[in-house]
Amino acid sequence: MATRNALYTPLTLAVLALVVGPIGIAVFILGFGLGDSPCVLCWAQRTGMVLIALTGLFVIRFGPRPRYIGLAVLLAAFGLYMGLRHSSLHLWRDVGQGFSAEILGAHTYTWSMFIYWVCVLMMGALLLVLKDGEAASEARRLRPLERVTLWLFLVAAAGNAVQAFASTGPPPYMGQGDPVRFSFNPANWVWSLEEWAPAPVSLRGRWAIEKPDVALASIDPAANPLANAPVLPVSRRASVALPLDGPITDLAYGAGTDRFLLTTEKGLYITDGSFGRVLRHTVVDTGFSVDLARFAAGAFLASDTVLAVSENKSFVILREHDNAEAAANYRYFLASFDKFDEVSRSRFTTVRAKMMYVMSAAFDPATDSVFTVTVPNARVKRLVVSRFDRRDMTLSEEFTPVLAPGSGLAFRSEKGSLDSFYVSGAAFANGKLYVISAAFGALLAIDPQARAVVSACTIPGLVRPVGLAIKGSEAFIVDAGGGLTIVPLP
Amino acid sequence: MEFLNFVLIFATGYLVLRRPERERLAFGLLVTSCLLMATLFLIGARGSILPGLNY
Repeated sequence: MATRNALYTPLTLAVLALVVGPIGIAVFILGFGLGDSPCVLCWAQRTGMVLIALTGLFVIRFGPRPRYIGLAVLLAAFGLYMGLRHSSLHLWRDVGQGFSAEILGAHTYTWSMFIYWVCVLMMGALLLVLKDGEAASEARRLRPLERVTLWLFLVAAAGNAVQAFASTGPPPYMGQGDPVRFSFNPANWVWSLEEWAPAPVSLRGRWAIEKPDVALASIDPAANPLANAPVLPVSRRASVALPLDGPITDLAYGAGTDRFLLTTEKGLYITDGSFGRVLRHTVVDTGFSVDLARFAAGAFLASDTVLAVSENKSFVILREHDNAEAAANYRYFLASFDKFDEVSRSRFTTVRAKMMYVMSAAFDPATDSVFTVTVPNARVKRLVVSRFDRRDMTLSEEFTPVLAPGSGLAFRSEKGSLDSFYVSGAAFANGKLYVISAAFGALLAIDPQARAVVSACTIPGLVRPVGLAIKGSEAFIVDAGGGLTIVPLP
Repeated sequence: MEFLNFVLIFATGYLVLRRPERERLAFGLLVTSCLLMATLFLIGARGSILPGLNY
């Protein structure tokens, strides 16, 4: 009997708290009192809590049968999923932003996660006090508190039925994504079938973005949105024939020391100014701490400091050190442990470019800023230039460039845009951000002050370049296989 | 559909309180309500079934 009381009394109190607390407050105070109206996901979360309470009442009435406990565990597990799935819609919003009403400073859909979690804890605790073979075979006689709890549950269920009828309507109508506020006046009721409309099913939704690849870029000149980009003659062609650990992903030039920086998927190679030999290199452990994925871009930040930016906008900064401590660098590098020290490893965070990858980075010493440019994907097609302050590597400016008036450039059609350019390399010179596009083999010059493209040229024979460096008055454009195309800087 | 589900839930609660001998029917209604709740949530979440956690 003592064990029975240890089970039923706390369980009854827990169900009572659930009914009077979240379920009752949601319908009678937030709904009827304040006009709050749940969305389709909120309705399911609330229903799940009601069903957990009801399952508890089954235990109170019929004893702790395994199928009740099993169902309660399934409900709590699904409830945690629902809370996480719904809250994740608002995870990246600024502080205080969200959907619908708050309770104690937290939006209702976030509370459900906590409540389901408490339900799991409660079930675990109650199972601990159960003895073997204690499942009842017939209905228990309810004690007064249990009977009151059941009646209150019926009142809460009825209240929810009333609110659901007004807010969502009879079948086949169902909840809506953006419901209007609750009202007892039928003139204000909105019943909708919008959720039944055919829609694509996806596991990751908008987060399912394909990885960038220059092979995805269109090289059809007829698809170039610019009508009158002049052809830039090639000065000469060459090739990089150096021992690298994989295909080249970017190129940069350090004017102070007349050296080039080549990046590969994981490697950084500093070469002499004629690509004659590798002066220094390392291979970064891209899986340590920050997921650096695949290096897609590189830049000199100072004569002895280099930056490698991954396609996911994570980055690492390395400083040359002739006698770096190899043992200490084991965690950072996979090879050549004593040539660099790691200065920092972190991530660029963007706003307009959040759902796009990058394949380029450039450093402007004049503004002490790093620039990145997006590549389009199947879901988001937009050319976004992001500027990060070198001092804290934090986003300081973002813009989508336009064609500069007076540049002589024009789109082929009224709907033309720069969004289909696939920027795979960038470099800063003469106050302009030069970018090379794997699409259409085009070299664009962007004036960051004017936020505009001030010149654009196409380069004959350029097939899917991956990197751009500017040395003096020449632009060095490299492809993944090491092919170099050198053109005069327009 | 949410209204229908709360009607089912109310009926189930009533059976538990006043007709405990209909436990099998009550439990069947409870399971039906659970499945309906999960179905409605998944319909609303079908555009991105997994939580949006920057995969």
